Formats: sequence, C-alpha cells, structure tokens
Amino acid sequence: MIRHERPAEAVDEDSPPVALHLPDGTTFEGPVIDLRGADVDPAPESIVDAVRAGEPTRPGRPTVHAPPPTRVHAHVARLGPDTDIDRRAALAAVGAARGVETAHDDDLAAARESLRSLSPPTVDAEELRAARRRAAAAGSEAERLRERVATLRGRVTALREEGDADARADAEASLSAATRDLSEASTERVAAAQRLSMLEERARRARDAREERLRLEDRVGNLERAVRHARADAVALEFHDARRRARSLLDGVPGRDAGGDAPSGLRDALAVAAIAPLGAPVVVDPGIAAAAGGLDTLETHLGGPFILR
Amino acid sequence: MLVVTYSRRARETLRNACRSHEETVVRRFGRAALLRETEYGAFLACRLRERHGGDVQVERTEPFNEFADAPESVREAAAAYERRESPATPYDRFAAGTDHPESTEMRDREL
Repeated sequence: MIRHERPAEAVDEDSPPVALHLPDGTTFEGPVIDLRGADVDPAPESIVDAVRAGEPTRPGRPTVHAPPPTRVHAHVARLGPDTDIDRRAALAAVGAARGVETAHDDDLAAARESLRSLSPPTVDAEELRAARRRAAAAGSEAERLRERVATLRGRVTALREEGDADARADAEASLSAATRDLSEASTERVAAAQRLSMLEERARRARDAREERLRLEDRVGNLERAVRHARADAVALEFHDARRRARSLLDGVPGRDAGGDAPSGLRDALAVAAIAPLGAPVVVDPGIAAAAGGLDTLETHLGGPFILR
Repeated sequence: MLVVTYSRRARETLRNACRSHEETVVRRFGRAALLRETEYGAFLACRLRERHGGDVQVERTEPFNEFADAPESVREAAAAYERRESPATPYDRFAAGTDHPESTEMRDREL
C-alpha cells in the first residue's frame, strides 16, 4: 500500500516553487498563487491550458513554470463547482503518476516488446491488384475469342456445304487467325492465373504474421486495461479517505444537492488532487478556497501548488 | 463474400460498416463478416480493400455440395465414422483395416 502522508508543516517543502508568466509580462510566484483582486486578463481556462501544456507554450499565452504536468492534470487541472471527472480514469492516472507497480507490468512490457520486434511481411497490395486486373482481363479476352472461334467455325462449316470458294477461303483465314489469337490468349490466361495464385499464396502466408500482430495488439490493449484497473484499485482506499476530508472541506460551496452535499464531481476531483503527487499546479476557483476556510486549509488538503483564479 | 480483417483499424472499419449496412451483412463474426453477393456487398469490400490494403482479405464463398465437391470415399467415411459405436475411437483406428481412407491421405489430397 502506498501512502503519502502530508503533515501540514511539510507542505511548503513538498510543494515545488511554481511561477505564472502572463503575456503582459507580469509574473506571479508560488507554490500558492492568488490572483484574486489581481488586475490580470487570462481566463481560468487559459491558465488550465498552460498547466496541461507544460512548457514552452505559444507566444501570447500564459506560461506556467513548474515541474511537468502528470496524467492527473488531464483530469483535475481545474477545480471549480462544475468540475466533473471520470473517477476510475483519474485514479488510474494517480497510480501512474505515483509509479504504482502492478502484477501485469512485466507481461505488458513483454507484449509491447514482442509487438515492436514483429515486422509483418508486407503484402504488396498494388502488385496483387495488378495481378487481379490482369487475370480478369485475360479471362474475358480468352472467353471472347472462344466465342469468336465457335462462330467462325460454324460459318466455315456452313460455307463448306454451300457457298462460293472465295467466301469459304475468307472464313477459313479468319478462323485460323482467331484460333491463333485464342491460343495466345489462353496462354496469357494461364500465366496470369498462375501469377495471381502465387501472389495470393504469399499474401495468405503474410496474414499469419498479421494475425499474430493483431493478437499482440489486443493483448497489449487488455493488459493496459488491467494495469489501469490495478492502479486505480491501489489508490482507492486513500481516495475514499481523501474524499471524506474533501466533503467537510466543502461545507460552504454553492451548488450543493438536496442532501446538502457539495457537487460530487468536485468532491472526487478534490480528493484526487489531494492524493496525487502534484508538481505542476492546479487551478482552483476562488469560491472553493473561501468555502474551505482559506488558503492554508486548501493548501494542506491539496498538498501541492495551486493557482487561485 | 467473406471479409476478414487483420488489423485493429481494419476491424474497426468493418464493424462500423456492418453496423450501418445490416441489409448487406449476412453474418458477423468478430473481425470477419459474410457479405451478401450484391453490388453493394462488392462496393463495401472494395472500400475496405481500398482503405486497408493487405489487412483485408476478401474471398467469394459458395455452398459446399458434398455430392459434387467431395469423393464418395470421403462421404462414406464421414457417415460411417459418425455412426461408430464407441465415441472415443479416433478416426485412424476406426479406419484401420477398412476401405475408408486414412486421414493423412485425405490431408494431402486437394479437392
């Protein structure tokens, strides 16, 4: 079980120094940056974007100078009355940020390695397509010539019974020309069919390797899911403790439901932020700090840097 | 027509195609599907091949007529074996000393 107790007096040591640089050149430093009453432009969303993006950001945007954001920031970079999170995904992110080890890690690494080392033989789709086209063309040409030969043979027979010698000679010449063409076309048809079946056989063999790749991709996907579950499970107890603390912390927050509880998405998010190893700050709605009874209480709860905006 | 996919993306495309074109799909099996032999079935198969190349295998299928497609010795062996008295007898022991073909012979002979 991984537990990071954060005694209040240790908070300042735990929280790395962070700085917020605004496009107008102003800079705020913390671990706790309080923008209440500060005459600054950026909306909370653009500060959240800056936190999630890490450094460097594009010119004209706020920049947060801090340790790089973790996966947890994808879920709880903003703490406000409307905050909602995918709890399991956020807990898995906390587990990942903490480096929680799971029973599936080795299998996952092995499966990823097998997938990397697998280079499926390439089926040249264009070559195969050309062969299919050639076989189809050769087949219909041979068919056309076969019909032509049959027709001409019929005419020659008819002219032998009655007809003039010239017409018969013409028909016989056409027949022998068509027979020659048919023979060539048949040769081409056989050659095209053999080439196609050779390429199809090669494609069939290549598919065994593709099959293996697909199997490994599925295995990696399943193991990743198992790892996420295990990571979320590993921090679940601690999360529930933190959630109870968050509940009392939030007694004065607006948007409470009929039972008098603060919004549960926010409670989840506060609990996640509290148990996550936060290097980069989170951006907290000032109303929450007020409800929590001040910056010190909030800082103790979060145990990491934050920006009030 | 039998369409078999060999990558995650091709499988996903096939699934989506099957969902939106139920009238053209005879059966779906995970990453494979049996499409109706209509021009529209061919249209879907061509699109899959166009998008995923070698990750898609398309075969034309036809019903198997054992009276036209398989020799009589094979038909009779199958019928006799399915009527055997002891269910645990493997085929080759069953066939030994009879006129029925050995399994290795059958394996080596193309239809």
